[in-house]
Amino acid sequence: MSQPPPFGLMAEFTEAEPMTKAVRRARAAGWTRLEAYSPYPVPEAAEALGVSAAPVGLIALAAGAVGAALAAGTAWYVSVHLYPVNVGGRPLNAWPAFMPTTYLVAILWACAAALVGMLALNGLPRLNHPAFFARGFERAGRDRFFLFLSAEDPLYDAEAAARFLAGLSPLRVSEVRGA
Amino acid sequence: MSDVTAPVAEAALRPGRWSFRLAVLLCAAGIVALAVSVAAVLVRGVGVWGNNIPHVWGFDLIAYAWWIGIANAASLFAAILVLRRHGLRTAVNRFAEAAALAAILAAALYPILHLGRPWLFLWTLPYPSYTGLWPQFGSPLVWDFWGIMSHVIVTSLFWYIGLIPDLATMRDRAAAAGRTGLARGYGLAALGWRGSVAHWHRHQAAYRLVAAMVLPLLLWAQTVVALEFATTVVPAWHQARLPLHVVVTGLPSGLGVVLALAAVLRVALSLERFVDDADMDLLGQLVACAGLAAGLAYAHELLVGFLEEDPTTRAALAARVLGEGASAYWGAVLLSAVLPQILWSKGLRRRAAVVVPVGVLAAAGVWLDRWSIVVDGLLRDHLPDLSRGYSPSAAEWGLLGGTVSLFALTLLVFGRLVPAVSMFETRHEESEAEAEKEER
Repeated sequence: MSQPPPFGLMAEFTEAEPMTKAVRRARAAGWTRLEAYSPYPVPEAAEALGVSAAPVGLIALAAGAVGAALAAGTAWYVSVHLYPVNVGGRPLNAWPAFMPTTYLVAILWACAAALVGMLALNGLPRLNHPAFFARGFERAGRDRFFLFLSAEDPLYDAEAAARFLAGLSPLRVSEVRGA
Repeated sequence: MSDVTAPVAEAALRPGRWSFRLAVLLCAAGIVALAVSVAAVLVRGVGVWGNNIPHVWGFDLIAYAWWIGIANAASLFAAILVLRRHGLRTAVNRFAEAAALAAILAAALYPILHLGRPWLFLWTLPYPSYTGLWPQFGSPLVWDFWGIMSHVIVTSLFWYIGLIPDLATMRDRAAAAGRTGLARGYGLAALGWRGSVAHWHRHQAAYRLVAAMVLPLLLWAQTVVALEFATTVVPAWHQARLPLHVVVTGLPSGLGVVLALAAVLRVALSLERFVDDADMDLLGQLVACAGLAAGLAYAHELLVGFLEEDPTTRAALAARVLGEGASAYWGAVLLSAVLPQILWSKGLRRRAAVVVPVGVLAAAGVWLDRWSIVVDGLLRDHLPDLSRGYSPSAAEWGLLGGTVSLFALTLLVFGRLVPAVSMFETRHEESEAEAEKEER
């Protein structure tokens, strides 16, 4: 039986700086299906990859607004229509008294959406990923930096990609294959 | 760069020492007391507590406000460190967040239990039922329900979001050590985190966003309790300054607990390198500052209170400060405002034997202040007969001791299962320090 085709190529670096440079070079060379890995946030590399964090904020903002509207709407509908209680002739739509729950639910929804939105944009949670098959990849969570060129990229050609990565002075370049 | 955070991960992965087991055993005994006290309330009803008219609130609300104060100050501290990207965050952020979460869990028990029939707590939720009853959104009870629920969930989210990348590191380390079962557990909690640069970018945005939203939530959590007091006609409580007083005097408790925890953890988990003397210095000074702020709040209370025109209000304050309530009042001032001032001395704040008792006593002082407000606030009222005093019952003491054990046990479990110091932020900081060194 023949081996399955590789997932792509992984270059390993010892510092953040050369990894960031490698990302810039790869993007300049026209690679689109690439991913970089680091043990801590490297905002410069994220910028080089063209990733923006703004959608996380927008999702949280939108969820907060929906949560607030839902909370205020529920309070109003319950107090005015479903269960009106006349307390000394005070107005049924006592909106200032509805604000505490509105405020709390808005914060709750925004925070939950920040987590869920961040995970959804990241394509998480997932049980496995080709990158985990890479040699020495467990050190991406400790002290190593990686650049991954996916075989799904239209530019991908095993030999040319390996030559390109070797030109970025990595610690090593290895092929990523399923176990 | 080198792998600097190995000791942090090892602290969580190596088997527990005898001291850890002893601590867990002690906490477990406390949890038994908690279970008995809770069972007593569930079976016999809130009559097992010592509170009754006019003392409708006793230990239940004192402890609730006290735990919320600890949670608030710890979360506030953690959120500010994250937002300011302060160097101290690498050292103490994670367990400040964990302490906040543990305190919230302890606090959340009280409002459920003092409902009287806790199993009917769902009546505060707006859902259609055959009775046609709906909650009243103008009621502080409904505010409380949403407030506590949001507080618990948002504090957990804040802690968990920061933890995801470190859980992935733990997964990889456990797998490398051949502990497959443990690695699977960490792996599930890490949600498949693989350290992608793009993921980091969005993760940091989410983390900082939640930190920013924790701040307005905290203000709410502590002030709503005080507002409920302020809306009554009891002279000692009917004060516009009460919400501010409760927030400010609550600070020494949470910061004191974080300081004491930092001192214990760095020795117990051999993390002196990550929580170094400079970190302890900053924390000690922060507790001293919080004590100073609390002292100003007390001074303001005395100044404004004795200038008050209404004789009933003045008499109520005098009873708290100079009369029957003097020991609790001045105990609070001494422990939470005066005692922390010794931490200005560098020699003293670097000694664990000093900072641990000072931190814990500051928290105890805040508890005394809550007693002074809740119980001694009723020493003088508009009602002529207030002769019936308040004394807590065994069930209430059991609940207090039990929640302290619950708090301690939660932290012990956190200390063992998850890294006590944020590993990715430590790595980040170390690499920046290395880069600076090279530039020079």
